[in-house]
Amino acid sequence: MNQTRTEIIVGIFVLAGLLCLGYLAIRLGKLEVLGSQGYVVYADFASVAGLKPGDPVEIAGVKVGKVESIALADDRARLGLRIADHTKLQEDTIASVRARGLIGDKFIVLTLGGSDRILKPGDRIRETESPPDISDLIGKYIGGDLTSKSEEKGEQK
Amino acid sequence: MLAGAPTEQVRAVVERVSAVLKDPRLKAETQARERRDRLRKILYSGFDFSEMARRSLGSQWRRLSPQEQEEFVQLFTELLERAYIDKIESYRNETVRYPKEKLDGNFAEVESRIVGQKGEEYTLLYKLQLAGGEWKVYDVVIENISLVNNYRSQFSRIIAGSSYQELLRRLKTKQVNLAKESK
Repeated sequence: MNQTRTEIIVGIFVLAGLLCLGYLAIRLGKLEVLGSQGYVVYADFASVAGLKPGDPVEIAGVKVGKVESIALADDRARLGLRIADHTKLQEDTIASVRARGLIGDKFIVLTLGGSDRILKPGDRIRETESPPDISDLIGKYIGGDLTSKSEEKGEQK
Repeated sequence: MLAGAPTEQVRAVVERVSAVLKDPRLKAETQARERRDRLRKILYSGFDFSEMARRSLGSQWRRLSPQEQEEFVQLFTELLERAYIDKIESYRNETVRYPKEKLDGNFAEVESRIVGQKGEEYTLLYKLQLAGGEWKVYDVVIENISLVNNYRSQFSRIIAGSSYQELLRRLKTKQVNLAKESK
């Protein structure tokens, strides 16, 4: 009888544990479910090294969509981004490739623009920033110091 | 590939700036104002600072009245000038090439390669827009970092964290400080 009681208590705990897991799974799962909702816009980048379909698209740290497709268009990488329906993007929205930390998971950051025109499904985000190439920067550092780079930054302006 | 109108516009502005900087009659410190007036005129002919300001402010722009927008463009342009005029004036005969141009309707990208004194190469990417029949620069990208996006991130962070008024205050303060320095 004690054993039965113990088993019942263990069973309750296991059930509670499973319920918690299930709750977590559903809550986390909801974040991922965009499915075929939302609309797709495109953005061309010189490089999207490290990005893969499913990576998030964020505005101000909030997820608003995900990378749906990566293809080649001429010599640039064309990303298809699925954006939540209620998120409106201005024509001069800028899309940048960022990484968590310096070499972490890649994601797309959008900064909203000041234009009155809103991008429609199938439109292209014209302003994009590709990730800085770390090996490139190291090369420049070895070949010529970075301080002189910032000096001449304004020269051509 | 022949360079198109956007490249020619950039090249013309750079060469005119270079001519002013090389002019012996404008080299003296006493000539600073005239030299800068001329540089300003040249830069205004090639850059659309109004567009640059709007894009840098991002979504906040649409919440401003026309007067506030005008005020911001003024402030932004003056800030840019104070931030970069010294660097522009320190330009010393570096070689500039224009290896690539991309045309996309009313938009263009002009790549410029600069070879520094020690032989290091830098790439400046100019983004231009055709407006009223003229190509004007609205953004400059250095090492994959866009000037407009850089400012947009900074400004929106301040606006979101405090307010647009706070942004204005900080910009104006910087402006005052920079003016004091250049005296």
